[in-house]
Amino acid sequence: MSNLLIISLAAAAVFAIAALGELLEQRAGILNVGLEGVMLLSGTFGFIVAKTSGSYLEGFLVAILTGAAVGLLHGFFSITLGSNQVVNGMAIWILGFGLTTYIGYPYTGPLGLTPFPTMGGLPVFFFVALVLAVALWFLLYKTHLGLKLRSVGEDPSVAEASGISVTAMRYLAVLLAGMLVGLAGAVYSLVYNPVWSYNYLQGWGFIALALVFFSLWNPFFVIAGAVFFGVLWQLSLYPELLFPNVFSRYIWRAMPFLITIVVFVLLSTRWFRLRWGATKPEALGVAYQRES
Amino acid sequence: MRAVIGGYAIRIERRADVRWWHTALASVLAILVSLFLVGIAFVRVGADPLEVYSEIIKYAFLSEFGLPQTINRATFVLLAAFSLIVPLRAGLWNIGMPGQIFAATLAAFGVAYAFGAKTSVNAQISGVLVIPLMLLAALAASAVYGAIPGFLRGRLQVNEIVTTMMLNWAMVWIVAHMIREGGPFMGRTAEGEGFTLPTALRVPQVFDLPVTVYAAVVLSVLLTVFLTKTTLGYRIRTFGESPRAAEYAGIDATRISTLVFAIGGAFAGLAGFHYFLGVPGVYKIPKNYADFGDFSFYGLITGLIARNNPIAAIPVAILFGGVSGGARFMQGKLRLAFGIDYALLGVLMIMMVAFQALAQFSLRIERIVPAPAAQLERGESRVESPHH
Repeated sequence: MSNLLIISLAAAAVFAIAALGELLEQRAGILNVGLEGVMLLSGTFGFIVAKTSGSYLEGFLVAILTGAAVGLLHGFFSITLGSNQVVNGMAIWILGFGLTTYIGYPYTGPLGLTPFPTMGGLPVFFFVALVLAVALWFLLYKTHLGLKLRSVGEDPSVAEASGISVTAMRYLAVLLAGMLVGLAGAVYSLVYNPVWSYNYLQGWGFIALALVFFSLWNPFFVIAGAVFFGVLWQLSLYPELLFPNVFSRYIWRAMPFLITIVVFVLLSTRWFRLRWGATKPEALGVAYQRES
Repeated sequence: MRAVIGGYAIRIERRADVRWWHTALASVLAILVSLFLVGIAFVRVGADPLEVYSEIIKYAFLSEFGLPQTINRATFVLLAAFSLIVPLRAGLWNIGMPGQIFAATLAAFGVAYAFGAKTSVNAQISGVLVIPLMLLAALAASAVYGAIPGFLRGRLQVNEIVTTMMLNWAMVWIVAHMIREGGPFMGRTAEGEGFTLPTALRVPQVFDLPVTVYAAVVLSVLLTVFLTKTTLGYRIRTFGESPRAAEYAGIDATRISTLVFAIGGAFAGLAGFHYFLGVPGVYKIPKNYADFGDFSFYGLITGLIARNNPIAAIPVAILFGGVSGGARFMQGKLRLAFGIDYALLGVLMIMMVAFQALAQFSLRIERIVPAPAAQLERGESRVESPHH
């Protein structure tokens, strides 16, 4: 049982860090549905660099830089060119899917480094996720910069009128978000499951994306949701821990995905939607063109 | 957007309307750039790019074995593209092709199973009766599996991209349950793949191609007519352009989004029906079935490149169908490293998506004619009009 909790927290760390990144940019009005693609790219490049250099540090750095670069690419299309954010996100996902397939192919297999150290048996990155959640909450709700970031996600033209550069704020948001998502990709490919294979992420990016919608754009709810999905995921891998001999193990593997949909539906009730409507960034996914 | 470099102004503007030839030209350019880029990679591994490309073309389009493979794959990709195109006309994203494909495949095999098809390849079953039943079951299953995200989106505003992706992964494991470790559809001899369909239940062939190939071509015309000439097609488009305006016009959001996803799902289902029940040499759910799920995303890219036009999707689907098979053959024949076929396809797709995005913008480079500098002389008053 305590084993289940520990491995669940390891999975939760990946979900949480990626979702915190997405939350940050969504707060500034940028929707990136290509989260899975960003994580595939950053995780793969981080994996390749760590495997060839033998250094975790270099792997993480490259992953974070990759995430930042892909985030900026999505930002360029979405902010500067003002094209449809969903289309751009899908393009990023496909780009990640195609590009990592052939770049990563020769590196298929285990990372081959000594396992990443833990904190007395507990996954380090879960604590990193906790710290990041607090930091993000502080940034968004307690600082002037956070107020500016949120305001461009609520009403860009009013923000612009009050002297905030929407473009600068949104670029800052996609840059920071890209770094966080890149870190999440590396946590998956270097720590959680350090074996590279074709399309290795198995939909985790999409679960993280769903998590942001559940969270009412609140960093602490992201952590709670991530722990829930972490437990769910591990239970699906080791159902015998709680429910021996019920269903085949393959049906259990399908469960986290089906339960995600069920949770989504439950959260779409009238009660929830009133609150959801109240916290959703008004200008989410809407391009802003300055009147000139 | 405008940038000034030297004496030139570079302006990037979104085109008011993207003409078909912009798209076509962008695609051709994308292909040429990709061939050039990958050519460099081939030179680096010591292969002659021209030889490589001619091998791919010879196999995919001119050889006796390769051509039918190209056509069958292209049909699969084309039908998967339609499953993106219909919901996207309503502004909704269907990336649930893999799930819908396997929902249909499982339903069709379920009907066959119910008629005792698992017992032997020579089972005496009436194809005339059971094949239509299998087709109906397949289309119904994939339409329902497709309709779920559409309904949730229309009724509860649940993000359809997330739900379709979740349904894909759920289905991957449901298929695994059915064909592995003694699952009901497991093959008679092989572990991890489905039972082979009896000869009597295979999709009939015309000129050595499954009838589903011809059906796909006819459907591309029908779909174009449906989307452009019918009231329902018009409503779908209106909804896609502005859900709010559609609502004022009395178009029900739940009904439209459920409908487009059901139609999209049915097309994906037909793709699965075509490949697993119609393509010679397959006739079962193969071991590497999940690869077909990923392969269906080529349909997504095809739909994007064809800019939502069912007819324009045909050449793109043929390109991907041909290159995917031809590149694998070439890699074996020329003894190149594994994965180089993915390289070619990956670059091709990325370039095509990128050029499609760029085709929406016009690039104008203009020489800045220096505004006639007002030649002020001491004491002279400023000239009011710039045009003297």
